[in-house]
Amino acid sequence: MPSHDDSMTLLETTGLSVTFGGLHAVEQVDISIQVGGFVGLIGPNGAGKTTFIDAITGFVPVSEGTIVFDGQRIDDLAPDVRARRGLTRTFQQLELFEDLTVLDNLLAAAENPKWTDMILDAFHPGRASTSTADVDWALGVVDMADTCDRYPSELSHGQRKLIAVARALAARPKLLLLDEPAAGLDTTESQALGEQLRRLVEHDTTVLLVDHDMGLVLSVCDYIYVLDSGGVIAEGTPAEVRNDPNVISAYLGSHADEAGADDASESGR
Amino acid sequence: MSYLTFLVIGLGGGAVIAALGLGVVVTYRASRVVNFAHAAMGMYIAFAYYELRATGDMVLPILGLPARVPLLDRPTEVTAFALCMLLAAACGAVIYLLIFRPLRGAPALARVVASLGLFVYLIAIVGLRFGGQGAAALVLDGPLPNDLVVWGALKVPADRYWLTLIVLVLAGLLSLGYRFTRLGLATRAVAGNERGAILLGISPNVVGVVNWIVATMLAGGTLILAGPIVRLDPATTSLLIVPAVAAALPGRFNSIWVTVLTGFAIGMAQSEILFLQSQWSWLPDIGLQKGVALVVVLFALVLRGDVLPDRASAAGTRLPRASNARNVPFVAIGLLVVGIAATLFVSSDWRSGIIVTSIATIVALSVVVITGYVGQISLATFAIAGVAAFSMVRFADDIGLPFPLAPAAGILVAVAIGQVIALPALRVRGLNLAIATLAMAVAIEELLFRWSWFTGGFEGATTESPSFLGIDLGVSAIGDAFPRRTFVIMTLVAAALSLIVVSNLRRSSTGRRWLAVRSNERAAAAAGISVTWVKLSAFALSSALAGLAGVLIAYHRTIVSASSFGVFESLIAVAITYLAGIASPLGAVLAGVLASEGLLTVALDSISDSASSYQFAVSGILLIVAAIKFPEGIVGIRSAGGTRS
Ligand SMILES: Nc1ncnc2c1ncn2[C@@H]1O[C@H](COP(=O)(O)OP(=O)(O)OP(=O)(O)O)[C@@H](O)[C@H]1O
Ligand SMILES: [Mg+2]
Repeated sequence: MPSHDDSMTLLETTGLSVTFGGLHAVEQVDISIQVGGFVGLIGPNGAGKTTFIDAITGFVPVSEGTIVFDGQRIDDLAPDVRARRGLTRTFQQLELFEDLTVLDNLLAAAENPKWTDMILDAFHPGRASTSTADVDWALGVVDMADTCDRYPSELSHGQRKLIAVARALAARPKLLLLDEPAAGLDTTESQALGEQLRRLVEHDTTVLLVDHDMGLVLSVCDYIYVLDSGGVIAEGTPAEVRNDPNVISAYLGSHADEAGADDASESGR
Repeated sequence: MSYLTFLVIGLGGGAVIAALGLGVVVTYRASRVVNFAHAAMGMYIAFAYYELRATGDMVLPILGLPARVPLLDRPTEVTAFALCMLLAAACGAVIYLLIFRPLRGAPALARVVASLGLFVYLIAIVGLRFGGQGAAALVLDGPLPNDLVVWGALKVPADRYWLTLIVLVLAGLLSLGYRFTRLGLATRAVAGNERGAILLGISPNVVGVVNWIVATMLAGGTLILAGPIVRLDPATTSLLIVPAVAAALPGRFNSIWVTVLTGFAIGMAQSEILFLQSQWSWLPDIGLQKGVALVVVLFALVLRGDVLPDRASAAGTRLPRASNARNVPFVAIGLLVVGIAATLFVSSDWRSGIIVTSIATIVALSVVVITGYVGQISLATFAIAGVAAFSMVRFADDIGLPFPLAPAAGILVAVAIGQVIALPALRVRGLNLAIATLAMAVAIEELLFRWSWFTGGFEGATTESPSFLGIDLGVSAIGDAFPRRTFVIMTLVAAALSLIVVSNLRRSSTGRRWLAVRSNERAAAAAGISVTWVKLSAFALSSALAGLAGVLIAYHRTIVSASSFGVFESLIAVAITYLAGIASPLGAVLAGVLASEGLLTVALDSISDSASSYQFAVSGILLIVAAIKFPEGIVGIRSAGGTRS
């Protein structure tokens, strides 16, 4: 556990566990993320990284443990409520709204609807959205402002990945959880993404990054957790993690093959 | 003892439900289709049997082929039965190869629509070929002996026992067949994965054809034998699909014995409830027994569903791209002006056509909102419309609410019922939601529309002629030509306003959230959109539109009758809206034109006397073709290029 000032803790899980039937996908995980941090979460395939994000964002039920976000327990909240509190995520498989343009994808995520909206919309549809500024900012962060009016199906895989990140950003989250944003990107694209993500810190966005691209994670994150078989096996700064014997045996040793296999399956979609 | 008697009598209905449920399971196993037309297919075969017995003519179900082929003078029961089983086999094979084989990879809604198209076609063709009922209406004795079997105090007609025995034996044969024949094994392999069957050296086509033949023969054979028990009639026999699907659900459309047991249980419970209603006077005299199927469906579905689909399940129903609807308000105003101008000049037939088309447009908009934009298949549109219509009359008669208040209150009741219907949608999706809403629609029809207080008892429900600020808005008045022009204009205005409201919503933030939920519920939740709220509010709007249509139908007919709001109407509405373009407000206008008695009917009638009688049969065929060839609908095809920049 890194020593930290409690008032600066944005997300803290204690003893977080998720089981599927008999399988312990996430087991007793304690993670804490400071405001303004850029935290990495790595681990081999099936380590439970996606399940951990699912648990934090409310997509799978937690079987044990607590999640405190921004000073409040959020374990019982629905996913959309957590998102509106400032906890947004991207998905490992691309889950853009295929029926909406890029702009509408982002607006849908940025807007904070009130129940009166439906009545106003019925008679006054042209009202300017209050969220355009956020959307423009999010598109700017990933450098994709020119794709506004396109449909997701018209974009390349790399562009779609960036739009997914932008959609999560458009809600102006306090904490952004990215599940393998660089999967399926080539090295240059991945590097460009890293730089863009790094810039987020300047915008008061805290990030938890899950990725197989070790180069990306080691270069942008300032603190890293390593997950294996559902449990945290190491944590620390990139330099510490790089040299941790546990990590080397459990993950980095086999990393080259695994990352290769994973990339192939991702880009084969 | 009579409690037991009715339970045993219920074996007859139970055997029919079990056998139809089995057929549903067989076709589902082979082709992943829940065939809503399954009971209608069996019904056609049964009609053909009784007609063949009475006249010696084989009646063919295909438009374009000769209607009747004289075969024998007086066929015996056995010959007629054998010939009809051949007919059933041919129908099963053709339907699979022509319709469901091509649709095997299609989205759930396309497959639902194709089976609705088949359903509509079969009902229409029974009407055309057998002139309403034909010989089936007269036949009281079927092939099975039906003398009373006395067993102590238990007196039950023999056919109940025979039918039970036959269905149990057939179920046994089926389960042995699936276990021990190569084709059966291949079917089980196909259910898992199509390549499995190829590995066994059997083409998936053969598997499909054989299973569809078995299912159709099963349905036809059962309904022939059970003809005297179920009393053949297009409207009710075809809807036996609801308890049949209910029977198949607990076994997940896969288990033969769970289906058979549930089927018998439903039939026996229904029979017992009928008896209890005669014994316990406090039980309301409404179609409680039809509620049994609903209870089974809801338990099976809702207990199993999830609030959000899980990671593995494929995202959403694929639906045609939603047009951006930017120009719809202008088109709506244009149509309104043209409509009003036409109203002033055209004859009474055309004025009626305008009324029906306007109302059907509103109904179709209700479908566009909930299914086209939010992706939730609801088959209860007309049930909701009927609730508004009957409630309005109650508010007017019992409380004395005046014109704009009574229909408004009626629409509010419809919205409330719509929210109840929406509850399953919070947990189940796609095909299962279609089944849940269909069961709800049947329950509303049987429970509410047969409740004499709600529907006005002997007096019936007669609407008061609406008038507002001294203007008579009624459809008829002494001295005025029917239908009155002010009424036509009122329906036109209602349709135009509905169009504008729906297209405005589509273009604004509400529409973005609708389409987000339609594309991907998980991603929508992650984007901070409350999927529950979106579904409930869209159901509310959709119900309000259906309710508006309902009260207009009531004012148009002046006497509200449950037959205007049947399940069949809902199925047709969804199907025709899909055909016209389910994700587009202008598609709804086209659906209004295509509706029965709408402008197309009037136009066809003005060309020739008999043209419009084929309208349903032809639209059934068009639906099937549309589902296979143009999943985007007619309006979708035209604007597909235009909506993408
Ligand atoms: N809904 C589910 N039901 C059952 N098991 C599941 C479910 N979701 C995930 N699992 C299992 O939980 C374990 C952790 O999976 P998870 O997807 O979280 O790993 P991951 O670290 O994200 O892997 P990857 O690097 O491949 O994305 C795996 O063994 C997986 O098979
Ligand atoms: Mg993962």
